[in-house]
Amino acid sequence: MIAVSVQNLVKEYPRPDGTTLRAVDDISFSVEQGRIFGLLGPNGAGKSTTIKVLTTLLPPTAGTVLVNGFDAVAQPLQVRNSLCVVLQENAVEMFLTVRHNFLTFGRFHGLSSAAIERRMGRAVELFGLHEVLHQKPIDLSGGVKRRVQVAKMFLVDKPVVILDEATTGMDTFNKRATVNAIREEARSGRTIILTTHMLEEAEELCDSIAIINHGRIVAGGTMDDVKKMGLQMFYLTLKFNEIGKELQELVQKFAPVKLDIVDNEVNVTVREHHTALDILSLARSTGALKHFEITTASLEDVFVELIDRKRAAEGR
Amino acid sequence: MRNVLAVVYRDALIRLTSLTWLFFDMAVPLLYLLMFGVGFNKAVGMGVTMGGAAVSYNDFFLAGVLSMSCFGSAINQSYGFFVDRDNGIFYEFLTYPMTRGEFLLGKMLFQCIMALAQTALTLTAAVLLLDIPVNLTLLPLTVLAVMAGIAGWFFALSIVAFRVRRNDTFNTLINVAYFVLMFISSMFYPLDAVPLWLKYLSYANPLTWHTDVLRYLTVGAGSLPVIALESAGFLLFLVISFLFAQQALKKAA
Ligand SMILES: Nc1ncnc2c1ncn2[C@@H]1O[C@H](COP(=O)(O)OP(=O)(O)OP(=O)(O)O)[C@@H](O)[C@H]1O
Ligand SMILES: [Mg+2]
Repeated sequence: MIAVSVQNLVKEYPRPDGTTLRAVDDISFSVEQGRIFGLLGPNGAGKSTTIKVLTTLLPPTAGTVLVNGFDAVAQPLQVRNSLCVVLQENAVEMFLTVRHNFLTFGRFHGLSSAAIERRMGRAVELFGLHEVLHQKPIDLSGGVKRRVQVAKMFLVDKPVVILDEATTGMDTFNKRATVNAIREEARSGRTIILTTHMLEEAEELCDSIAIINHGRIVAGGTMDDVKKMGLQMFYLTLKFNEIGKELQELVQKFAPVKLDIVDNEVNVTVREHHTALDILSLARSTGALKHFEITTASLEDVFVELIDRKRAAEGR
Repeated sequence: MRNVLAVVYRDALIRLTSLTWLFFDMAVPLLYLLMFGVGFNKAVGMGVTMGGAAVSYNDFFLAGVLSMSCFGSAINQSYGFFVDRDNGIFYEFLTYPMTRGEFLLGKMLFQCIMALAQTALTLTAAVLLLDIPVNLTLLPLTVLAVMAGIAGWFFALSIVAFRVRRNDTFNTLINVAYFVLMFISSMFYPLDAVPLWLKYLSYANPLTWHTDVLRYLTVGAGSLPVIALESAGFLLFLVISFLFAQQALKKAA
């Protein structure tokens, strides 16, 4: 069953000078029930705008959005009744205790106090909120506030959960807890739509993704499709006490995407995880390795890559 | 109705977190009546004339205090949207499974419940401390009129709160509007006694309509046909404000 379907969605914002800004430009995707779908893209790509249309906060300029079979324009109430959402902006009741935050949220979603109290235990445990249950968010740190906001999604059982950069501001431990909790919800049949800047996070969690830039989908499909596109890249930075001449030749053998050697620092870009590790062990074997760093490609790099490929394909 | 009550529940929790706020919300009209009213009562010893009959200033001013506190309550409640916007929770509210109308009605209903306590306090003081001859048989209608006043002003001010994005702009606008509306109304003086231009302006003001209705219900001043017309006018104002507030809320995201 299709839980969420977006067809040819367009959203324009009026600009102060009278022109319009096309924040979402003809996007289409659909998500099967029980699946996790990731919307990826750099700042300003149109992710949150898409989420706002999905959650009926904004009307679309054109196109159709169906959530649980309901039309976001014609049946906004039924759509809202099918989902719960963590908006990108913080949304907590600053002056109510965390417990009261949960109680009010549950009420708004049609649960009795007794039902909320019953479900609260799990949410509190998942997000480590036991100690702050009787404190007010105004007195809590940014990351804890975010956890309160995300924890609310686990109090109710609306079939569609929408998360706009839900893990922003959380430490690694809580990010992990969130990721695990999301996976568990999907297994129980809930459909998840999330946005992120991090390809890794999407890779770990999503069944399918769409990468958007300037309001358009530049790549998408199942996670396997996307992996086959070979977008993943690893950057390796190696600092040596001194560099022997033969090193450049040895590294070249791995056919890196890019290789730069400046003074005693080597920067290599490769496509495969194991290649990065092989180069690292080669570097270690010289006995002169002082420092190393491996990072994965940012989404921005992925765009540059995608756009380059597009240009190359068009030039041919 | 369940959704409306969820809004009331939430607003009640918020209000209970600040007892100072709760206290002043309750006490302001009372203070107005006791301090301002009593002062004027002394200064205007012979009272005011309404439709040929003399009415003591305290009696006259009671309705002004009630309508003023309705307006004040509505300002407080609509200002809350800015606080909720700052906390981001406002936008989350708009994703909850309730209609925009239910959200507004819940907010209105909560403020009405608060106003009942406020009105009870004010009327008790009026009767017991100031010997104002309040018509107790019409009390249910007075209560309804207070609720209608809160609703009308709350919806009207909400339209402004949803359209204006900045709270400082909202504050300035509302301060000016409040000041102007109060002085071109029957709140402080009977309209028989004012220049003709002011009288006409005042009769175009929903605050006058509301105050006149309350004055008729509490101390029996005014003539019934005029009051009936003013009631109808205010109800129309309320309904139109509600419809526009709903539209403005739809665009508030
Ligand atoms: N209310 C608005 N009025 C006008 N323009 C807007 C509005 N909201 C967003 N935009 C513009 O629309 C575009 C898409 O914004 P959006 O918030 O959807 O991006 P995003 O992908 O969520 O970015 P981020 O990763 O920074 O959250 C941006 O150019 C932004 O400036
Ligand atoms: Mg965003």
